[in-house]
Amino acid sequence: MKYLVVDDSKLARLSLIKSLKSHVGESEIFQATNGLEAVATMDKEKVDIVFLDLTMPEMDGYEALPKLLASNPKAKVIVVSADVQKQAQKKVIALGAQIHVQKPINIEKMHDILEII
Amino acid sequence: MYTLTEDERDVLQELMNVAYGNATAVVADMLDAFASLSIPKISIIQTEQLLETFDTLKSTSYFFSTQAFSGEFNGESAFFINKESAENLAKHLELESPEDIDDAILELTNVLTSSLTTKLAEEMDTAVSFSLPSISQIPLAEMHDVVTFKHYSQVIVIDTDLNFKDQQINGKIFILTKDESIQWLKTKLNTILELLI
Ligand SMILES: [Mg+2]
Repeated sequence: MKYLVVDDSKLARLSLIKSLKSHVGESEIFQATNGLEAVATMDKEKVDIVFLDLTMPEMDGYEALPKLLASNPKAKVIVVSADVQKQAQKKVIALGAQIHVQKPINIEKMHDILEII
Repeated sequence: MYTLTEDERDVLQELMNVAYGNATAVVADMLDAFASLSIPKISIIQTEQLLETFDTLKSTSYFFSTQAFSGEFNGESAFFINKESAENLAKHLELESPEDIDDAILELTNVLTSSLTTKLAEEMDTAVSFSLPSISQIPLAEMHDVVTFKHYSQVIVIDTDLNFKDQQINGKIFILTKDESIQWLKTKLNTILELLI
């Protein structure tokens, strides 16, 4: 299983990876700091599961989401965002995300996410 | 004069991002509107410099509301909205009298700043308590005489607009604070990052 963590914040990436590692051990975990990097990594690595932030420079999550799925239609995208407005949630689900979860992701929340998808 | 290291800025920006997202959702619910979130740009500046940044907002008058919070981390969170946005807010809420507009902005500030500060404090593993918010309408020319600014040496500027595009309502939020709180904050930000590395 290959994972990709996409977030412009180092803090957000580190804390998410920490939670992820506590469940999946030393899996292949890739990182990207914006949508452009994420799509490039997806093209190359065809990762299975993506954790995607929404507000990022260069290319945001909304724009990256369909591109990631076009590159690998089998990928599962989990949107991890501070934007908890209902409209934002609806929008990402419509774009093909599995779920929309609120930041930050601690170990328990990561457990629930991995159960659901 | 305090500055933030790159790591401190990253951590604070992400904490603010989460806190701000939370606060915005509450306000969006209240206004039944959708806000577009942008990446908050964080900086710490001297209070006098803040006054200079107001010049770029260009309006004849502003509504300025603040809410003090106390705890290990203490200061005052402030919400700043110009006359045009305030009028659009009033229109959106179908308010007519000036008292009703004041009341709506006060409530908006209360909800926005208290949910922002509560969430931020929670993320930093501390607690804050709030005073009642207060509001004033300030003509541009009198901005330099605002008493609140004189109490604080530093301002954490969260350079992000509360932006309800469809309603053309924009506001700015910032946190006024003192040297001791900035020092406390810097220590905290480093602890948060060290725990992850
Ligand atoms: Mg982000």
